[in-house]
Amino acid sequence: MPDFDADDNKLTLKVVFYGPALSGKTTNLMQLHSLLNPQRKGELMVLETRDDRTLFFDMLPIGLRGNSGLDLRLKLYTVPGQVQHDSTRKAVLSRADGVVFVADSQPSQQDNNATAFGNLEENLEKVGLDIDTLPMVVQFNKRDIPGVVDEQDLQTRWASTPWAPLVMASALQGKGVIDTFRLLLDRLYTVINGEYDLEMLHSIDRHTFIEGLSANYGERHAHL
Amino acid sequence: MRTFEDDPSLEDLLSPEQRERLERLLSDLCTEPVRLTEQKSEGSVPVEFNLETIGWLSGGSRDERRAAANLIGFIMMFVAKYRLAANLHHDTTEASYAELQRQNEALKASEARYRELSEQLQDKVDEQVRVIQKNQQELFESARLRSVGQLAAGVAHEINNPIGFISSNLRVARDYLEDLREMVPASPNNQELLDDFRDLLTESMDGTSRVAGIVSDLKTFSSIDQADYSLCRINELLKSAVHLVQTEYNHSLQISERLAQLPAVTGHPSRLSQTFFNVLDNAAQALRDTDQEPAQGRILVQSRLEGDTIQVVIQDNGCGISEADRGRVFDAFFTTRPVGSGTGLGLTVARDTLRAHKGNVQIDSRPGTGTRVTLTIPMQGAQES
Ligand SMILES: Nc1nc2c(ncn2[C@@H]2O[C@H](COP(=O)(O)OP(=O)(O)OP(=O)(O)O)[C@@H](O)[C@H]2O)c(=O)[nH]1
Ligand SMILES: [Mg+2]
Repeated sequence: MPDFDADDNKLTLKVVFYGPALSGKTTNLMQLHSLLNPQRKGELMVLETRDDRTLFFDMLPIGLRGNSGLDLRLKLYTVPGQVQHDSTRKAVLSRADGVVFVADSQPSQQDNNATAFGNLEENLEKVGLDIDTLPMVVQFNKRDIPGVVDEQDLQTRWASTPWAPLVMASALQGKGVIDTFRLLLDRLYTVINGEYDLEMLHSIDRHTFIEGLSANYGERHAHL
Repeated sequence: MRTFEDDPSLEDLLSPEQRERLERLLSDLCTEPVRLTEQKSEGSVPVEFNLETIGWLSGGSRDERRAAANLIGFIMMFVAKYRLAANLHHDTTEASYAELQRQNEALKASEARYRELSEQLQDKVDEQVRVIQKNQQELFESARLRSVGQLAAGVAHEINNPIGFISSNLRVARDYLEDLREMVPASPNNQELLDDFRDLLTESMDGTSRVAGIVSDLKTFSSIDQADYSLCRINELLKSAVHLVQTEYNHSLQISERLAQLPAVTGHPSRLSQTFFNVLDNAAQALRDTDQEPAQGRILVQSRLEGDTIQVVIQDNGCGISEADRGRVFDAFFTTRPVGSGTGLGLTVARDTLRAHKGNVQIDSRPGTGTRVTLTIPMQGAQES
């Protein structure tokens, strides 16, 4: 649910990185923090990790100003993937405007992916969001590891879902992270523009939205 | 409603004491004291934290101001982290607690439901026991009624033959009597004797035809020669039942019949007869139990066609049924009569029979005024069972 403050002319959107434990959500966010060069970029807040594991969440705010003076904010969150932190996941997920599902490409992790996806569906329903209309991108991470599940198999399996095509990534190497983010911005823009008329009222068209928020320090990182 | 993720204000991040202390610490580092405020003032610089201007810093030199503002932004990140974590913890704890309370409520509700169910279960068991007892009794009664019916039918069959030749012999005897009258001398004594003799024979013939009538009623009543369900002539069944009640009450009852032309309907003749008999018997008893003069007692038997149902109405002006008893008249064995004068099964059998015919029994009664029993039999209703 976007948060629009008319007094401050400020629109805050929330994107949540969801997925099983250790799939690379925090790594995605850390990479975005170092790779992105948007109009405005805040501090990456990493909330208390213990052995690399997220305990509460991580958060990175970025922003863009429209010609109308609109103060557009995007807050990127990660959830803790470990099973026991479900109530935290639910709290972070609530009022999300978009979701990046970070799956682990290793064959041994496919069950965990499925469980986490089921958990996402369940929690979306609990916080009153509709998985069929919520802008979402599914990323298969850790492509650098040998013996990962074949990309073609994955694409075929997901072909008939609203989330095709999948994005392949190696967050550790900074590859596919921005691709994932840009695809999400693209899907997010459709919904938000429909609601807030960004293009007409604030002269933020799709290109401005995506480029303004995902500008980065060099193409060399962008693709896998 | 504020959520954990709302952008914090300076007030959210620092208490007034903490803000004062921070100002003091920073002032120690600067050549001039600095002040941290929420409002912008002349020469102040913004303190930024996560894209948000959370306050304004004034005082110190220009460079000091800028450096102090950056330092505050840096410190605020840790304060905000703590705030975020604390708020999130608070939110989730509250949500979990609410969820726990909801579950507790649900648990209590289901516990209450189970308690109630277990109480109802006991009631149901008691009720079932009653139903089983009642069915057993009814089964017993109906078996008894059937064997009585069969006995009656057997007796009727046996009597039929002798009564036939007795009545034809009596007719022949009367003819012989007329022949004798020619032969004996016509003295007054002889004439008187012969007249007397003829009267005796005539009375005997009346008697035999009454016996023959009873026999035929018994046959109708027990329907010994009929299949369970067959075409019934309701009026015939009613008439037989009336005759049998009259026989039971020595022809003392004033029963008037108002029977309409009726089509034959599929039904169980002996059970219908039994029903009519029971209702008539109840009416007769009600007349006997009333306070009024016996001569005033009347029973009216009506049959009529109402659309596609047949209605049989049996009405008496006897003692009626009291309010308290009315609800129980269908209870098997309920009877207001002294013990030994009947099983009380009458109306239960009537109701069950009518139900088997997809019909019903309606009772209207006023104590001291009389009772009207309306039996409704649909023409398509009967079922083979
Ligand atoms: N080989 C490889 N390792 C990765 C990749 N992405 C993340 N990792 C590693 O996986 C581990 C977990 O990464 P995180 O980003 O902390 O995972 P997370 O999804 O935030 O985990 P939780 O916070 O517990 O839910 C770390 O050791 C990362 O270095 C990748 O693309 N390739
Ligand atoms: Mg993490």
